[in-house]
Amino acid sequence: MVVTPSGGLCVRDLTKRYGAVTAVSGVGFDVRPGEVFGLLGPNGAGKTTILECILGLRRPDGGSIAIDGLDVLAHPASARTRVGAQLQSATLQDKITPREVLELFGSFYPHPASANELLTTFGLAAKANAPFQSLSGGQRQRLFLALALVNRPTVTVLDEPTAGLDPESRRDFHRLITGLRDAERCVMLSTHDLDEAERLCDRVAILAGGRIVLIASPSELVTRSGRSAKVYLETSCTLDAAKLQAMAGVNAMERRGPGWELDTTDAAGTVAALARAVDEANGRLVELAIRRPTLKDVYLSLTGSAWPAAENPKADESAAGRTAGSVP
Amino acid sequence: MEIAAPLARHFALTLRLNFRSGQALAYGYLVPIIFLLGFGSVFQSDTPPLAHEMGQLLTITLLGGACFGLPTALVAERERGIWQRYRLLPVGIGSLLVSVLAVRVLLLVSAAGLQLVLAHLLYHTPWPEHPGQLTAAMTMVMIAFLGLGLLVAAIATDVPSVQALGQCLFLPMILIGGVGVPLAVLPVWAQRVAAFLPGRYAVAALQTALDDPRGLGAAAFSLLALGVIGLSAGTVGWKLFQRTTAGASSALTRTGRTAAMVPWIAIGIAATLTGHWRAPQPPAQWELITAAQIDALKFDDLPDDSGIVTPLAPPSSLDPEFAQRLRTWARSRLNEPAQGVRDLLTVAAIADLGQDAREGQIARAVFEELQADFDGPRLRAILAWIALNPNAGQAIIDVSGLGIRRHPPDWAIRERDGLYARKFLGRLLSRIRD
Repeated sequence: MVVTPSGGLCVRDLTKRYGAVTAVSGVGFDVRPGEVFGLLGPNGAGKTTILECILGLRRPDGGSIAIDGLDVLAHPASARTRVGAQLQSATLQDKITPREVLELFGSFYPHPASANELLTTFGLAAKANAPFQSLSGGQRQRLFLALALVNRPTVTVLDEPTAGLDPESRRDFHRLITGLRDAERCVMLSTHDLDEAERLCDRVAILAGGRIVLIASPSELVTRSGRSAKVYLETSCTLDAAKLQAMAGVNAMERRGPGWELDTTDAAGTVAALARAVDEANGRLVELAIRRPTLKDVYLSLTGSAWPAAENPKADESAAGRTAGSVP
Repeated sequence: MEIAAPLARHFALTLRLNFRSGQALAYGYLVPIIFLLGFGSVFQSDTPPLAHEMGQLLTITLLGGACFGLPTALVAERERGIWQRYRLLPVGIGSLLVSVLAVRVLLLVSAAGLQLVLAHLLYHTPWPEHPGQLTAAMTMVMIAFLGLGLLVAAIATDVPSVQALGQCLFLPMILIGGVGVPLAVLPVWAQRVAAFLPGRYAVAALQTALDDPRGLGAAAFSLLALGVIGLSAGTVGWKLFQRTTAGASSALTRTGRTAAMVPWIAIGIAATLTGHWRAPQPPAQWELITAAQIDALKFDDLPDDSGIVTPLAPPSSLDPEFAQRLRTWARSRLNEPAQGVRDLLTVAAIADLGQDAREGQIARAVFEELQADFDGPRLRAILAWIALNPNAGQAIIDVSGLGIRRHPPDWAIRERDGLYARKFLGRLLSRIRD
């Protein structure tokens, strides 16, 4: 019997094999109430297998999973009443309405949430009797989240919850997930979107090859990675390269077109020094961009391989847009 | 946990969703009605109209709903991840599958009922004579087709492949399987192939239940075939479909393939070996004689046994030598029961018309021979049929081999056949004292 330190989810030494292939090996972590826990990794890293084991869709070959101290493998039916899930690929019948689906799924649980309450909470009251096919992408995702909560679960599993959503729907969804954290729910999030993980997760687990490489908060991961920030500078005057090299925190520098790119461990100090240097040279800043280390950089430093850009181009674009600020 | 209420809710919602789908309504109800109108335009002048085609029409309806409608709905839901979502519920997925099958049964029964009602209203097709037997036959047909539908749902990877697999079942059954085209008009090779397809067994079971006075027992082999095919396909489909909802490959395992196909092939081989591959013969006219028709026959207007017309000697005066010759003569004439009885009656009729010296004894010998050759119910039905239909069948035969060398006219023989038939029947029914 697994002992969970407190309420929430406790995974220990989880192993799952498909024939000769070990998809997940010795994975362990806890998710506490009021915590959003992220599973990060490219396709094939084992994220989905871990989630499916937690949800009871697959039986692990080794290890244990407990929810509020209840052994999921020994009591799968009871465990299912304590887990809610938003599945990445799952959708619904075209003609079913949000109210019908919430009432149907709720009826299978002993203490379901009220369908009306969920519809109101997730902004679907006006669409309660509309067919599923008429809902927008954002409304559908909100309905799936409501469906994941219909049984008042201890643990809510969200598999790529914002994949394919437009930015506004994505922001709405992020607010809802933050609300779950505030309501002391355990939320487990699997995502390709590192920006989303940084923004939402209290802790993340980096997965590679079916193993957890590291578990930490996003900021802690960045710090522990030891990666430095990049500062790109373009000025109307000429700056002395030796002066730049001597600035606080600067490790290295290199010419990039008309400007310089500085590698620094102290982005704020470097920018302040740059501003002074430009002022002293009676020049002005034409462009200044700061790119702080991201989870992608962390992933690279931890696993030795780059985050596969092709898997989520949107996330990449989003990350780039956020980090590359420019000063006129 | 109480699961009856949520399953009832699932059942009701699945049913409602079906009626919200134009495609489901078209395939479930409209297409069968189009087939009904098509058949009706061809067979409405039959007597009774469409009665002999209702088995085919009901089979088409049940086949389409079970082998197309069910797997299309199941695979579409599986593709959308709805069954994966069901797997997260704290109930076994099998109970939800039962709910879906129950909905499908309701849809099939309603579509078949609608067809019977429309056939009656549009073409005056008679109502089924034995609703209980029709229910039993429909149950077996639904077991077979729903089993196949479940197997198709388990094998098919997506909705287009359901259509492809469904057509592989549907078209052969329609074209050469005795469903669209009656088996009796198909060439022998097609009838032999049809023995391996469940459609012909469905038509035979339903048609027998609809209008065969022999009852459903006459379609025992068909019912057995439907049960075997349905249970084998359904068992494999049931297990495999549940596995595919867990993301397993839908490819049939060798064991599954064997379990689904071997009983099916065995039925075809059994039909071939036992002659059940042939088109079922319609019941003979005498088999349609009812107890009420026999009861309505009159016996008080028959000529006296000792008179000139249709004399009949008492049992004690049987001529053993003639009786022995008659037995030998009659033995070669029993392949077709009704004609065999008529031939024996004709021996007595010709002796009577030719005023043979032993006419009464010959008639007695004929009566004894009839009782020896045929069981009571069959003999009563045939005699009643001859009494009611004296002009049916062959009446002129050569009885010179029995020493009776007379050749009276056909009409006279038929008349005497009818009289003797009534005399003998009256004795068998104890309504005439012998």
